[in-house]
This record gives sequence, C-alpha cells and structure tokens, in this order.
Amino acid sequence: MSRNTEKKAKSIWFIIGIFVLGGIIGLLFSFGVAVGVHKTSDDKFCTVCHTMQPMADSYYLDAHGGKNANGVQAKCVDCHLPHDSLANYLFEKARTGLHDFRVQNFGDPKSIDWEEKRKHAKRFVFDTGCMSCHTNLENATTGNTKAFVAHKEYFEKRTDKKCVECHKNVGHHILGDYIKK
Amino acid sequence: MLKRILFIFLALGLTAFAANVGDVTNVKTLKVNRGLTDAGKSCVECHAKMTPGHVNDWKESRHGHVGVSCIDCHSVKKDNPMAAQNCKGIKGTEIFVSALVSPKTCERCHPNEVKEFHQSGHARAAIQVKAKKGMQSLMQHFEGRDHKDFKHSPEATGCMQCHGSIIKLDKDKRPTAETWPNYGIGNVYPDGGVGNCKSCHSGHKFSIEEARKPAACASCHLGPDHPDIEIYNNSMHGHIFNAEGSKWKYDSAPDAWEPGDYRAPTCATCHMSGIGDLKTTHNVSKRLKWNIWAPISKTRDGGYETVVADYENGKITKGNALAGHPKGSKAARSEMEQVCASCHTKTHTKNFFTMADKHVKLYNTYATDAKKMIDELTKKGLMHKDKWSDKAFKIWYHLWHHEGRRMRQGALMGAPDYAHWHGVFEVQQDIRELKLIYDKRIKSGKIED
Repeated sequence: MSRNTEKKAKSIWFIIGIFVLGGIIGLLFSFGVAVGVHKTSDDKFCTVCHTMQPMADSYYLDAHGGKNANGVQAKCVDCHLPHDSLANYLFEKARTGLHDFRVQNFGDPKSIDWEEKRKHAKRFVFDTGCMSCHTNLENATTGNTKAFVAHKEYFEKRTDKKCVECHKNVGHHILGDYIKK
Repeated sequence: MLKRILFIFLALGLTAFAANVGDVTNVKTLKVNRGLTDAGKSCVECHAKMTPGHVNDWKESRHGHVGVSCIDCHSVKKDNPMAAQNCKGIKGTEIFVSALVSPKTCERCHPNEVKEFHQSGHARAAIQVKAKKGMQSLMQHFEGRDHKDFKHSPEATGCMQCHGSIIKLDKDKRPTAETWPNYGIGNVYPDGGVGNCKSCHSGHKFSIEEARKPAACASCHLGPDHPDIEIYNNSMHGHIFNAEGSKWKYDSAPDAWEPGDYRAPTCATCHMSGIGDLKTTHNVSKRLKWNIWAPISKTRDGGYETVVADYENGKITKGNALAGHPKGSKAARSEMEQVCASCHTKTHTKNFFTMADKHVKLYNTYATDAKKMIDELTKKGLMHKDKWSDKAFKIWYHLWHHEGRRMRQGALMGAPDYAHWHGVFEVQQDIRELKLIYDKRIKSGKIED
C-alpha cells in the first residue's frame, strides 16, 4: 500500500467516525430533548411555579385531571399546546415556556387577572389538542340529538367557535373558585 | 234558559281555546322518560307542577322534540356570575342554575344565529342607551324627575322593555326590579352575553313560526317614532297578510320558507329569511341601504355592528350607527332587490326604490335646513337651557324623530299614508313653524316668552 492510499483509507474512517459519533451525539441529544419535553408536560412540572397551583387544584377535581371512572389524566400540554404539527408543538412550547419563565421571574405574576384571561381561553386551549384525544367525536355525537345539533356547525366548519367557547370550565372544575384573589 | 245556553257556549269556547295552546291541567302530571338524564327529568316533572305554563310551552317546542330540556339551558357552572340554587330541588347538590339564560348559552348550539345577531344593529339596543347621555337624562332626569324612589320607572316600564337592560343581580343572584323582567332585544347578562333571543322567539316555545309573523316585531316597532307595524298594515304586503295570513305556512325549515308558503312577505321574509338565492340571516341590518332612524340619513357603509366587541373589551359605546352589509350599502340594496325578485319584476323593484330613495333624500334636505337653524340658534345662545322647554328644539325633535322617520320608513316600505300625511306633510309643517321661531329669535336677539 502506498502512503497515499493509506492516508485515503484513514480519512474515510475518520469521516465515517464523525458520522457515527455525530449520530450517537444526535441520538443522545434528541433523547435528552424528548425526556425534557416529556418531563415538562404535566402538572408536576407546571406546579413548580406556585402561580399554577389553583389551576392544578381545580384540574384534579375535573374529569380531565383524573376524576373519572378510569383515573386517566390528560396532561396540561394535551390541551394547552397545539397538536397540528410537531414543529408547531415545539415552537409553541418554547414560546409559552419562555414567556412564563420571564413573567414568573422578572414580571409580577400576582397582578395577573385570571378571570379576565379566562374570557379568551380559546387563545391558550387548542382544538387540535382536544381532537387528538377525542378522535371519534364527530361520529360519536351524530347519534345523540343534543350533541348532534351543537357539533354539526363545528364539524361542517360553519362556525369559527372553538371547543372552549362552549365547553367553559372544561379541564378545571369550578376554576373560578380557585383563582379568586 | 238563555243564560244556560250562553254558559254552555262560553264553556265550549274556553275548551276550544285551551285545546289550542295545550291543556295546562294535563301538563301537571307529566312524566317524561326519553332522552333526559335523571336530573333533567326531575326538573321537568317538578316544574310541570310548579310552573305548568313553562313546561307546556317547552312540550310544544322543538327543544322538547330533540330532548333539550330545562337543565340543558338553565344549568350553569358554580363559578358563573348567575349561578344560584334558588330552587329547593337542587339546594345542596352540585347543580347550579340560573333563571336568566343568556345568548352565551343559546350560541352553544346556534353559534351562527348569535354571531349574526351581534353583527346587527339590534345588538346595540341596550348598551347604546347606557352610552348616550341624552337618553339617560331623558329617562331619569326629565321623565323620572330625579326622584329618589321613582326615577327608574320610566326606563323599566318603557325603554328597556324593547331596548333591554344591563341586568344586575341582588345578593341572592336574583335580577333586580330596576333591570328585569324585560323582553328587550339588547339585554346584557351578568355572564357577558349580549342579546335576547326571547324577544322574537318567546320562551319556552322558541317558535320559528312566531318569529316569522309580524307580531314578533310589532311589539316594539310601532308608535309615533317608528310605526313599522302600522306601515306594514298600510302596505299591500300587510293588506294581503291581514286578509289571509292566518292560513299560511310558517314552519318550513330555515332557508326553505319561500313564496307559496305565503302570498306576501312578513317582516322576517325581507329582513332575515333565506329567500331565493339569499341565505337566512339574524343580522337585520344586512339588507338595509340607509339608516332611516337617524336625524340625517346616511348610507350604511360602516361594516358590521361593533358594540359587542367593544363591550367585551370593557367599553360601553354607542355602537356603529352605519352598521349594515359588510360590503356596503350597494350590496345591501342588491340583496334586498333579490328578495323582491321572488315576486316582482325588475322594473317594479327599480322604480319603487328610485322614488323611495328620492323621498329619503328629500327628507335630508329638510333635516339639513332645520339642523342649520337649530345650530345657529344654539351658537347665538338663543335656545333654552332646558331643551325640552324649548319650542324650537321640540319641533326639531319631532321633525326627525317622529315625522321624519315616518316619512322615510313609509316610503321605503310602501306605506303611502305614512310617507305622506304622517310624513312629508307634517315635516313641511314643522319646518315652517321652526322657521317662524328662528326668524323671530334672530331678529329680536332673544328667546320669545
């Protein structure tokens, strides 16, 4: 073997090595992100800030918070993040996360008027979230006369109303009692 | 003997009447077992005894047919500002109810109807009364005499019965006498809901038939300032309705109520119904070219009504006086012409509106001249401080608010007596009278005794 071919072989191994190593680092990193995303998605993480305690307390008493026959819980992010695409999900998570971090540490969380905020719940509860669990809602409600009329306009896209505009209090049982100052 | 016969006739008559509205005594022992939850069932069965009239109406309603019952509309979450347990049956349970039902509840199933309503002038009925100082002082100061006990009676018995009120609750969550009961169309409920579906679809039947008949509008659209039912009766449309309207069909499905079901339009036909290619709408302003209630009429080019959005942002405003079709007054008129086209030729419609529009513009010349005189007198200090004691002001007020509206509304809805004798004839009398006072004051430099 000439020195040249030896050099060539070395550099090929070197390149392969970089790719393998990069792959491993990438995998580890995405594993970390996945764990991070997972760990920061439920009531345990969200109540690290005491500001969120009333929301959590009212959530535990709601069907979505586990007070149902099977004890199943929807996580905070299941409703409060969009589920239309992974990119949007992560972007919104980062955006709201940074916003909350900023207000919690450098703002005045006590001055927040939660009742006022509830009036535009549709800005922070996402229909795509609801629909990613209630996947069969359209079919399920066609057999129920009451729900049929109510949901018909929604599924036929003849109204721009969002889920929480009709289903007030969903997710948080009597939230109003908990967020009173 | 004669007395006995009369008595029998009377009894038969009463039975026939009772059969028409449903026999309330039958309702009292009502048992329902279809499509309702246990709680829902117990409301119906108990209220059948307590308030049989309510349950009788509900039984006749479409809501009854699809299983929407008391609790579906009246139950609210505990943290709703209207939530109460003023009912023995639910005291101490998890159920909270509200006697008041706001459009926020209706819109859960009828989102588009409520949305369209919010885009219409009807939506500002109550809120604008709060926003306009002149209306407040007329009701409480001039009419109510600022009396400490009585000053709210003019608005409670009068204005708010059509306009609606901003409903307040007492400490037991019961509505106050000053703000309720009323059937006003622009009610504002403590939960923030604006509007009142019951104004036209009276509870608890919520009938589409009822709302399609002129009577639904007539309880408010009458009298010297906007005699719309009188105008309708004066028109050929009203003539035909009064002759044979009792035999027409009023319960066709929305958007499918067409000529054939009726031989002449009612208010709802022209202003709301899906006729021909037009869609139904609960925005009664949408097909209107002019605002013919204002002192000087302008075309409705202001887009949708804005008062509800303002209210949701915490502001009480006068709303949008030029609310109409989102694409402007031309589009509005063209929609109204489409309504006419179901029965009339193009020439008929074009000719009719050409002359009606001219009558509106003719009115505007009167109003502009009169306003000029009033403005000049005001500027020169030649008006009474108490405007309701001022002869010139009163003439101006009647000119636009009473006679002038009759002139314009009579013309645009085909009522000759209102366009003319109650309208332009009175307007020309008014302006002559005003001119005499104006000349006198300008010449003498003082207000006559």
